[in-house]
Amino acid sequence: MAIRIKVKNAETGATVEMELESENTVDEVIESAATFWNKDMGAYVLRKGKKVLRGGNSLVDAGIRAEDVLELIPDPEGG
Amino acid sequence: MEDFVRVGAADNDRYDRSRRIEWLDLERLFRSDVLLVGAGALGNEVAKNLVLSGFRNITVVDMDRVVGSNLSRCMFFTEEDAEKGTYKAEAVARGMQRLSSDAVPKALVAKVEDLPPVTWGGRDVVLGCLDNIQARLHVNSHAYPARIPLVDGGMDGFIGKVTVVRPPDGACLQCGMNRTHAKVAEMRFSCTGSGIVFHQPRVPAEITTTSVVSAVMVREAMKIVSGRSELLLSNAFYYDGKRNVSEEIEFPVNPQCPLHAAGPHDYK
Repeated sequence: MAIRIKVKNAETGATVEMELESENTVDEVIESAATFWNKDMGAYVLRKGKKVLRGGNSLVDAGIRAEDVLELIPDPEGG
Repeated sequence: MEDFVRVGAADNDRYDRSRRIEWLDLERLFRSDVLLVGAGALGNEVAKNLVLSGFRNITVVDMDRVVGSNLSRCMFFTEEDAEKGTYKAEAVARGMQRLSSDAVPKALVAKVEDLPPVTWGGRDVVLGCLDNIQARLHVNSHAYPARIPLVDGGMDGFIGKVTVVRPPDGACLQCGMNRTHAKVAEMRFSCTGSGIVFHQPRVPAEITTTSVVSAVMVREAMKIVSGRSELLLSNAFYYDGKRNVSEEIEFPVNPQCPLHAAGPHDYK
C-alpha cells in the first residue's frame, strides 16, 4: 500500500512530498531526496524527530507512517 | 586539625577552576591515557582543550605533514612548519607540551590503519578527529571490541557532529551508517589539499565550527574518564552554525552490526 510522507531538507528548509510503498527502504528515501535536491556527493541521514533511521530498514520496519515528516541532514565527515 | 589556607593559593593553582567542577574527577583526568587520532583542524583544537582541561597522557596519531592551508585553523602549526613540512602529529605534540609542562604527549607518525594492535591497549578514551569514513570505521572496529569509549567528531563547513560510542552499550559508528556512507567510504574529506585528496568536503572546515565540535568532544571525554556516564550524550550532538541550531540526536543500534555480534577483544 502506498503512503505519502514529507521529507524536509535541513539545509534549506524546503520540503518535498514522496509517495512510497511500505517496503521501500530508508536508503531509497535518502537517495531519492538527495537526487531531487541535487545534493553534493556525501553522507546523509534521515531522521524522524530525534531518532536517526537505519538505512536498510523498510519504511514499515522504521515505523514510518503516512503524513510523517522526515528530515534529511548531512552527516559531516571532515576533520 | 584546623584547615590551612595560604593567601593567593587558588590563583597559583593551574587547575583551581577545574577543581570547582563538582562532577569532574581531576585526578582521573591526570592519570588517564588518551588516544587522539587525527591532527588536522579538529585534532589541533581537541589537543588544546585536552591539555588545558588537565589531560596529560595523550598519544596523537597522524600521517600527514603541515601545509600552508592548514594555518587558518590549526593553532599548533606555524609558517615554519608549513615550509619545512613538519609532521602534524609532531607539531601537535610539541604544541601540547608548550601549553603545559604537566603534559606527556607522544606523537605517532602513521596511518591509523597501520597502527599495531598494541596501540589500542590500555586506553581510557579514543578521540576521533578524522577526515574520512574508512578511517572512522577502522578506529571504531578497534575501539568497540576493546571496550574503549570513542568520541568521534565530524565537520562540514558550519555543520558539526559529535558521536559518543560507549561499548558495550548503544550504537557504534558503523550502526549509524547507510548506503550514502558506503559510497563515499574511501574518499578523503581532507583540509590539507594535498595530492592524496580526491574528494573535497562540501564546504571546507572552518575554525568556528571546529571550536564548537572540539569543545563538546573534550567535555564528553572529561565525563567518560570521570565515570559520569549518566551525563554523556545519548548518543550524538548535531550542530548547524549557519542556522544557530544544536540538538541531541540518537543513532539506534543496528542488530546486523558485526561489531555488536562479536565479543570483546583484549589488545593488551
